[in-house]
Order: sequence, then C-alpha cells, then structure tokens
Amino acid sequence: MFEEERSGRSGLAAVVAVLATGWALLGGLVLLAVVGINALSVAGAALGHPLAGDFEMTEMGIAVAVFAFLPYCQLTDANVTADIFTARASARSVSALRALAALVACGFAAVLLWRMSLGLADHRSYSSITAILQIPVWWAFVPVLVSLVLLIATSVLSFIESLREAVA
Amino acid sequence: QEHVFKLHHFLGAESPAQKDMLEPWAKRVEENSGGKVKIEIYPSMTLGGRPPELVSQVRDGVVDLVWTLNGYTPGLFPRTEVMELPFVFVNDPVAANLALAELYPEHLAEEYKGVEPMFLHTHAGQAIQTVSKEVHSPEDMAGMKLRIPTRTGAWVIEALDAQPVSMPVPDLPLALSKGVVDGALIPWEIIPALKIQDQTQFQIEGADKTRLGTSVFQVSMNKARWDSLPEDVQKAFRDASGHDWLVEVGEIWRKTDDRGIKVAVDSGNTHITLTPEETEAFRAKLEPVVDRWVSEVEPLGIDGAALVATARDLIAKNTGDEGASQ
Amino acid sequence: MSDPITLGLVALVLLVALIAIRIPIAYSMILVGAGGIMMLSGPALLLSQLKTLAYGQFSVYDLSIVPMFILMGELATVAGLSQALFRGANAWLGWMRGGTAMAAIAGCAGFGAVCGSSLATASTMGKVALPELRKYRYSGALATGSLAAGGVLGILIPPSVVLIVYAVMVEANIVTMFAAALLPGILAVFLFILTIAIYVAIRPEAGPRGGATSREEFLSASIGLLPVIGIFGLVLGGIYLGFFNPTPAAAIGVLLVALYGLLRGSIRWGSMITALKATARSSGMIYLILLGAELMKIFMSRAGLPQTAAAWIADSGMSPMAVMVVILIALILLGCLMDSLSMILLVIPFFWPMLLELNGGLYQISADGAGFGMSTEDLKIWFGILALIVVELGLITPPVGMNVFIISSLAKDVPMIETFKGVLPFFFAELLRVALLLLFPVITLALPRLLASWPT
Ligand code: NA
Ligand code: NA
Repeated sequence: MFEEERSGRSGLAAVVAVLATGWALLGGLVLLAVVGINALSVAGAALGHPLAGDFEMTEMGIAVAVFAFLPYCQLTDANVTADIFTARASARSVSALRALAALVACGFAAVLLWRMSLGLADHRSYSSITAILQIPVWWAFVPVLVSLVLLIATSVLSFIESLREAVA
Repeated sequence: QEHVFKLHHFLGAESPAQKDMLEPWAKRVEENSGGKVKIEIYPSMTLGGRPPELVSQVRDGVVDLVWTLNGYTPGLFPRTEVMELPFVFVNDPVAANLALAELYPEHLAEEYKGVEPMFLHTHAGQAIQTVSKEVHSPEDMAGMKLRIPTRTGAWVIEALDAQPVSMPVPDLPLALSKGVVDGALIPWEIIPALKIQDQTQFQIEGADKTRLGTSVFQVSMNKARWDSLPEDVQKAFRDASGHDWLVEVGEIWRKTDDRGIKVAVDSGNTHITLTPEETEAFRAKLEPVVDRWVSEVEPLGIDGAALVATARDLIAKNTGDEGASQ
Repeated sequence: MSDPITLGLVALVLLVALIAIRIPIAYSMILVGAGGIMMLSGPALLLSQLKTLAYGQFSVYDLSIVPMFILMGELATVAGLSQALFRGANAWLGWMRGGTAMAAIAGCAGFGAVCGSSLATASTMGKVALPELRKYRYSGALATGSLAAGGVLGILIPPSVVLIVYAVMVEANIVTMFAAALLPGILAVFLFILTIAIYVAIRPEAGPRGGATSREEFLSASIGLLPVIGIFGLVLGGIYLGFFNPTPAAAIGVLLVALYGLLRGSIRWGSMITALKATARSSGMIYLILLGAELMKIFMSRAGLPQTAAAWIADSGMSPMAVMVVILIALILLGCLMDSLSMILLVIPFFWPMLLELNGGLYQISADGAGFGMSTEDLKIWFGILALIVVELGLITPPVGMNVFIISSLAKDVPMIETFKGVLPFFFAELLRVALLLLFPVITLALPRLLASWPT
C-alpha cells in the first residue's frame, strides 16, 4: 500500500510519507462511506424510508475527506503548476522553486491550523450543530486539524527533499 | 462619511429582500444620521464564504452587518426558534416581528453573543405547495416527500407522516418536476424566483392565511463595532429599526408573498384555502411539534413551555396592530 | 492604489509572476488573494475569516459530487472500461480509412460519459488506443493528435467537473447544465470524426484502414459496450428522469463501476488503492484551487473590481455579441497559461455579472431578453457551455497543453511538436463548433427545454 511513497525515504521521512498516505486512504474510506450513505438514501427513498440527514452527512464527510487528501497532494506533488516558464530551467533551479512552493504550503497549513483550531473552539462554545442529526459541527474540525498537522509535516518534508536536490 | 458599514447577505442584488427591505432600511439609517453613515450592501456572498458563515463573519468583524436566516446555523439561536413553530406563528408577519422585538431583551438577547441585532423578522410563513396532490387534511399529506425549510420544518413534515427531504434551493424546481419530491413547505414569496408555478399545481394554506410555521431572519451588527459608535449614530440605527419599521417589514414580506401567489394563480394554479375546520385538524396534528421543541430545548436550560406561552401572548397582543403605529 | 482596475492589474501581474516561478496555481491564488485582503482590510479581518472559510468551501453540498465523479472515473480507469470501449468502437469504425483514430475518439466520448476529467480520459484512452494506432501504422501526428483532442471529450460530455463548479458559481441547476452539454458534446464527437475523415482523405498514408473484424469479434466487442451504455444510461438517465438527484446519482455511478470491475475481476485490493490515491490527488488539488479562488474573489470584491469592470463594459457601447466574443477569446488566450478549473473560478466572477448587465439584469425572465435575446436562465446555460468549450481548448494549445503533454509522455517516439501539429485540425474543428453554438443557441438550449417540459 505504501511502497511507492516510501521508496527512497527512510527514518522520519518514511514515517511522514506513510502517515500522509494512510491518512489519505482513510479519507478515501470516508468518501466511500459518503457514497454508501447516498446510495442508501436512494434505496431508502424508493422504499419510502429516506435516510434522515444524508445531506449533512455528505457535506461533513466530503469536507473531512478532502482535508485528509491535502497532505498526500503535497507529498506527491499533485498541485497543478504551470511549467511553461521554467521549462528550460535546470533541474536544480526547479528543485529550488519546489522548495519555495513547499515553504508556501507549510506557511498556509500553519496559519490554517492556528485559525481553524480557533474555529473549532468557536463552534464548540456557540454549540453549532447540524440541522437534522444535530451533530456538533466541531467534531468535523478534529480530523481536519490532524490533516493540517500532516500537511505541515509533508510540506516540511518536501522542502527538505527539494532543497537537498537543489544543492546536490 | 465618518462611518462606513459593509452589509453582507446571501441573496442576489435584485432580490426583493435587498430591493424592498435592505436598501430602504440602509437609506433610512443614512438619512437619520445626517450623512454620517454609509451602508454598502454586498449581495450573493460576494465578500466570501457560504451562508452559514454569515453569523461568524459579523461576530468576528469580517463584515459590519449581515442579513441572514437563523436556520442556517442550527443550535445558535434555540430560543428564537420559538417563533418558527407552527401555530405559535400563525399567519401574521407584522405581529411576529413586533413579538420578536418584545421578546428580545428578556428572553432572546443571551443567544446573540458578539452581535447586536438591529431587527429580527419572519417571512409570511411556510405554505404547502404540491406537484399534483390536492391537500385538505393532514391525512392527505401522509407519505408525501417534501423539501424541508428548517429543522423545525422537518419536524412539521414528520408530524404529518410525510418524508422530509433536504436539498439546495436551486435544485428544487427540477426535483419537483422530476418527482424527487412531491412538494415543499415554502412561502409563496419564493414562487416567482424559482418559477415554482410551472412545477406545482396546488398552493395550499390554512384559513385566514394560516401557515405551518415560518423562518426567522436577523439583521445584526458586530457588537464591538456597535459599542464603539457614538450615541447619535446608534440612535440613527435604532430609529430606523423601531416599531414602524418592524410593521413595514412585515408588510413588505406579506406583499412579496401576495405577489408570489398571484403569479401562481395567474398561471393557472389552484390556490386552496382550508376551511377553519380543516385548519383546526392541522393544528391538532401539529401540536406535538411544539412539545418536541420544548423537550429539545430543555437540556439547554430553556423553559420552552413558558417561552411558547409568552410568544403566543405577544403575538395575540400585536395582531391587527398594523394601523396602530405611533 | 485605490483605483480598482489598477489594483486588479497589479494582482494579476503578481499572480502570473508567482505561477511563473512554479508556485502551484492554488497557492498562488491563496497568496495573492490573502495578501490583497490584508492590504485592503488588514490582517485581523483575514485571520478571522480563515476560521471558517476553508471548511465552508469544502463542505458545499453541490460540490460533493466532484470527488464522487472523480472516484467514478478512476474506478473506470482501473476497471478496464477503456479497453471495452475502444474494442467496441473499433469493431464498428476500424474498417474505415482513419477508422481506428475515429474509434479512439468514440472511445474517449464513451469514457467521458462516466469520467468528469479531461486528463484522465486522455491518459486512460491513450494507454489503450495508442498501441493499436501505432500497430496500424498511423502517423505519429494523427495518432497522438486525435487522442489529445479526444481527451477533451472527458469534460465536454457530461458529467464534467468544470461544469459542476460553473453551475455552483452561477447558481445554475447541475442537471440542466449536464443536459445542455450533451448535444454540443455529440456535435464535438461528430466534428472530430469528420476532421479525421478529411485528414485521411488529404493524407491517406496517415491513417490506413484497420483489418476486417470477424463476425464473432464484432458481436463480442459490441456486447462489451453494453455495461458502459448501461452505467451511463442509469446515472445520467436516472438524473434526467428524476429517479435521483445528482449527488446520489454520482454515488450510484461509483457503485456500478466498482461492480463492473469486480465482476470482470479487474478491480482488486491493489487497484482499489490506486483509484483512491488518484482520487485523493485530483480532489485535493481541485478543492485547494477552489479555496484559492474564493480568496481571490473576496479580494476582488473588496477592491470593487467586478462592479467596476461590469460597469466599464456596459458603458463601452460594445454590442453584447461582441463582448461575448471578446470574453471567449480572452478565455482561449488565458488557456495558454492556466488550467481550465482555475480559469473558470478566476474569471467567471467578472464575466458573468457583465453578461447579466448586458442582458438587462438578473431578473430578465422574458424569452427575448434585451441583450442576447434570451432569459437569464438560458444565458447562464448557453454561456456556461461556450465557456466550458473554450477553457478546454487550453488543454490542446501550446505552450501548456496538458492533454498533449500526457499523450506525449505515452508516445515517447513522437516528438511533442508533431502532437501539437496533429491536434491543430481538431482545434479548428472546435472553433467551428464554438461558432455554430454562438450562432445557434438552440443546439445548447433544446435539451434543457425538453427536459423542463418533459412529462413525468
Ligand atoms: Na465527462
Ligand atoms: Na494551453
């Protein structure tokens, strides 16, 4: 499951890679659960018993899943770039630029981690809930914060790796 | 101008809510202030985020003012929910607005943390709009699939033994035309914007325009911003949002609602007004919704039964108050 | 700096600069958007908004079908749907001159019917069809060109991720948009196949006839098409006929494709993991761009740019049709730099209000509205489809043509310049199609109208 992401990495780097990959796959499971909920809701509606709260479970589930995907995107360099301007640049300078991009990602993740933990606190103290199932909204923020911690870890990892390539 | 305010909301710039309510209100505040105040209106969430975020935006000072639907943030305004309940709210948005204002200081204020409401209001009430089913009794609604407006609206649908279905508002017309739902609990006012008249055949309400509950909206300012305003500017806002304005807002929503049902009737739909006896059958069937709400808010330390009684008294007191302004 | 136009231009230059130094497009938007908001309204405001903004964007119900359709496409990829499609299409078309390339186009269209992404369609069909095209000695240009162009059908045939995002932005109905995309999509297939026919008529050596198909092979290849037709019919047909809403429909689609793969034995534990990983990459990337675009939107709104730009266009005295053409050309040019989703997210907030203004405002309900002779609803649909087509052109135009890159990486023996040459005739076919859709809005609007009036 993790061979591809682990290859060429060892120690802490390998741990981060495996964690980010495993976390994304967990996100994939959440996505599959959302698929299941929606399929059940169709079946239920056809049988006269629609699934209560399918709407809000879909919203929450997708948000949690997508946040879980972000560290893996960073790890696998999935975020689209326009390579036209750097097509003729040396591999070294591209690595240096990739290190810069990783720095941006790291800063973004850190700020978002900080702000969204306050967002979690807000949702808790104002006790916001979903309409039908009355699920506390802050519950969804907990896995999201884990995702952001992992995004910091993977962007630090890609920063170090890219920098190493740049100066190698 | 010394004081510029950004007012953020979720409907379009040409919606009746902006054209007929928010713009005239803003203009009145500006005039009252003698030109010291300027209110810029940002429709359609142009300042970012999704509608459920409006409350936190105004609380955190991302914007200065918002107009939002309380139902977007379930759990935040449990006390105010009393006005959404069927047969607490009956048919009169003017009375509901005035009752909300009177309820506010003693009964509602504590749940508006971090914001200063300028005014609370309702729309003209949820009515039954069906694709092809003529409804005269609660039994007629058993098994129907209906789009829910709010969580209390979901309880209404469940109490009628119908099935509540959630979906985004823009999906409603096609869901109606394709039979994904058999109808919706929504006010007439929405009819023209979504062309509901084309997808439905029956528009049903109780005797004397009795509706099955309503939704509560708020126009609120960031609390710190409010506290920082000089008294004369605060007064400009208060004067624009007083008794007369609340009456007017009720009339505005009544008028857009009337316009909506006229569009439906003009296009050949059937507008059914239930007889008082039929309406009473709905009241009896929906009484448990009020009980359900009372038991839902009890763990929050809210005496729901007393709040319902107070709300009903205030509505009774303010009903027919339209002419009594000043 | 308070002049909105200047501010917008400075932001655009900065954005391009960041993109040029290979900062991912999403992060470039996040940086410029966040920086702009801080400059205009201070850091405290931005920090407050960040408490809820990302979760709000990621939990939009209407967008939830994006990851589901991506998963459906990835499952279709590992399930071997593309083989069945190409084999079936080739049985029908392969005997003709250029027929194998036509079959690749038809296969792309079929794959596009279950997959919402252009790149996935290009790479999946490329892997299957390229060896066959080379086997029959197709010229490198025609073989790679038709696959790069065919990949675009992944987006043009519904379901389509870009179309979903557009629908959410302008509050259009997703089902209506899917219906609107169908006829223009079929027109694209037809024009692409016609392009190949003309191409091989001029250069017969570029696309030789394939071998004759035996009766047994023809029959079994055609039967192999049935599951795909079944899945497509159930998912989109189910939406159109009202069995379910788009989101549950996407869920049903995921399950059906998974079932297909399981029955065929092509989906196993390993391929499931592969599909989930690919879904994670695409979905994460797309949602991050959505967040970046939201920050850009907030910055632009606070700067007053959309209003100023809309007023400026409205006062310019240009005819509505001229404005439309200018917008489409701008999108084609921008397509040389950016991917289609970023483009839609970045420019629709500007262009849509302009077009609305030209058409007499949001509440234009008369069928012969002032500007374009149509209602707001129709304009929404028509413009959406036109915009979709032109932003997708960016995938096959130099210098950044993602589809061309993908096919080139599969066909190592064909120089990229050959692929760009091979794609050129299809580019002109697309321009012809845009012209047709511009002149005859009914091609786009007929199906949504039929759908709205269809008795159920
Ligand atoms: Na597609
Ligand atoms: Na391009």
